[in-house]
Amino acid sequence: MRVATRGRIWKFGDDIDTDQIFPGKYLTLTDKSEMARHAMEGVPGRTSFAESVTPGDVIVAGRNFGCGSSREHAAVAIKGTGIAAVIAKSFARIFYRNCVNMALPILECDAVDELAEGDTVEVDLRKGTVRNLTSSREYCCSGLSGLEFEILGTGGLIEYLKKHFLKADA
Amino acid sequence: MGKTIVEKILSKASGSDVHPDERIWAHVDLVTMRDFGGPNVVLEYRNSFGQRPLYDHESVAITFDLHVPPRDDRVAANQKMLREFAEQEGVTLFDVHSGVGQHVLFEHGFVKPWEVVIGTDSHMNLLGAFGCFATGVGTTDIVGALATGKLWFRVPHTYRYMVDGTLPHMVSAKDVILRILKEVGTDGAAYKAVEFAGAVVDRMNLSERITLTSMVTEMSGKIGFVPPNKSVVGFLSQRVKSEVQSIWADEDAQYERVLSFDATELQPQIACPDSPDNVMDVRSVAGTKIDQAFIGSCTNGRYEDLKAAADILNGRHVKPGVRLIVVPATMEVASQAVREGLYDIFLEAGAVVPNPSCALCTYGHPGILASGEVMVSTSNRNFIGKLGKGGKVYLASPATAAASAVRGVITDPRDI
Repeated sequence: MRVATRGRIWKFGDDIDTDQIFPGKYLTLTDKSEMARHAMEGVPGRTSFAESVTPGDVIVAGRNFGCGSSREHAAVAIKGTGIAAVIAKSFARIFYRNCVNMALPILECDAVDELAEGDTVEVDLRKGTVRNLTSSREYCCSGLSGLEFEILGTGGLIEYLKKHFLKADA
Repeated sequence: MGKTIVEKILSKASGSDVHPDERIWAHVDLVTMRDFGGPNVVLEYRNSFGQRPLYDHESVAITFDLHVPPRDDRVAANQKMLREFAEQEGVTLFDVHSGVGQHVLFEHGFVKPWEVVIGTDSHMNLLGAFGCFATGVGTTDIVGALATGKLWFRVPHTYRYMVDGTLPHMVSAKDVILRILKEVGTDGAAYKAVEFAGAVVDRMNLSERITLTSMVTEMSGKIGFVPPNKSVVGFLSQRVKSEVQSIWADEDAQYERVLSFDATELQPQIACPDSPDNVMDVRSVAGTKIDQAFIGSCTNGRYEDLKAAADILNGRHVKPGVRLIVVPATMEVASQAVREGLYDIFLEAGAVVPNPSCALCTYGHPGILASGEVMVSTSNRNFIGKLGKGGKVYLASPATAAASAVRGVITDPRDI
């Protein structure tokens, strides 16, 4: 996991649900790169999102990002596009877990309204800071807890379990 | 300091005295997966752990409830993969005839109070009606728990929703939970546990309790509980092999928020497109033309739900041009509905009655709406595109859905 990243902002609204992040009609897909091609496809006006993203870009969204079903495809698809972090006012619970488990960095940030589509941001996951290079302003976010940061830093849940619980017979 | 229900369960499961916001590792009593999500679990498990045996194959169950029987090559292959995994690992599998996973699991004695249950289903939390901590998680969580029997959790704060008074005639548990959703919104219980209490809740039967707890998902809650009463404990005792002990919060438990509702004046409620918290009195949108009605789902697919619809449909017919689809939650529910004559009523009314499943809660299940069409559904979600591009979904009780199917327009069940 890269602790600091810099990229362009792709801005989304409140209550972006998992059917918009990864439409249900693709749920039978199991190939990760194929899944990435459909990321955010269900959001009106964002059908070509996946092909427009540059690796390192950042998604910024409003409240309750990732609400709806438990599909991990949503986090997997976003990560697969090369998005380096998702910043939102709040996340839906299962989506939050999935991001930690898949090592897709997330930050909860109250200053989302100060971040605009196309702005360039620098995100420091350890400090929990978001610096808007376009407006030259910096914001403090509530970062991840110790355990969550450890899981992200180890490369996700499976790597963490192998390292800490299954070490003896791995 | 006293503990709420979730604090008691997670203290037991983690072997420590837990408090809200702590991150803990908890022992998982039951790991479940289904035909959606399950194939990814199997692929990821083999990819991560190869042929390593499961931590405990007896605490794992697979349920098929989405595309049953399979509708295309890919689904058929995925289900085949799960059958082979179940065979290899000695895991119980409920095949295509069974019905909605959580309902099948509690009918077959797989859950009881005080336990921790996880599954690849965002409505796992309906099992809180049995006093267990059940919650929907992602594929990787399931893979990790299959290998280690444990999972990380953030101990949630608890909200208490009190519903007192008396439910009026034709007003149901669905109307109660929609009214609460209107109050708290789609992120009103984000990261929280919810305990339902009060005179109205205490009197509710099992199917009504399930309707309440299932829709905690739509408030972004982690789990919804109704403390099991004698009747619920009795139901489980007939099905679970070990002793069933109820669970309730301590009297001095700390609730982060307490909300009180009086149900006495409550009217039938309906969630309008495109959000489950866009809730109004049914009468305020009465007369809106509909093309389809759906009665079923993990929220309203029990026998009592079907009976409420049948009482309205008895001797009546669905309005020409409108489709009514009725889907029992499980084979046990379907069998009872056949025995008690409900199928005759549905078929004579002109309904389509497919085999038990999650039915129209799944994209791709027969019953997709054409662009611009309107459906009244007893399920739990009406997000954009959930059931067909451009279709509009209203969420309501079985009685409201049945009355609307008969009239061809949204109808308060008291007005028929």
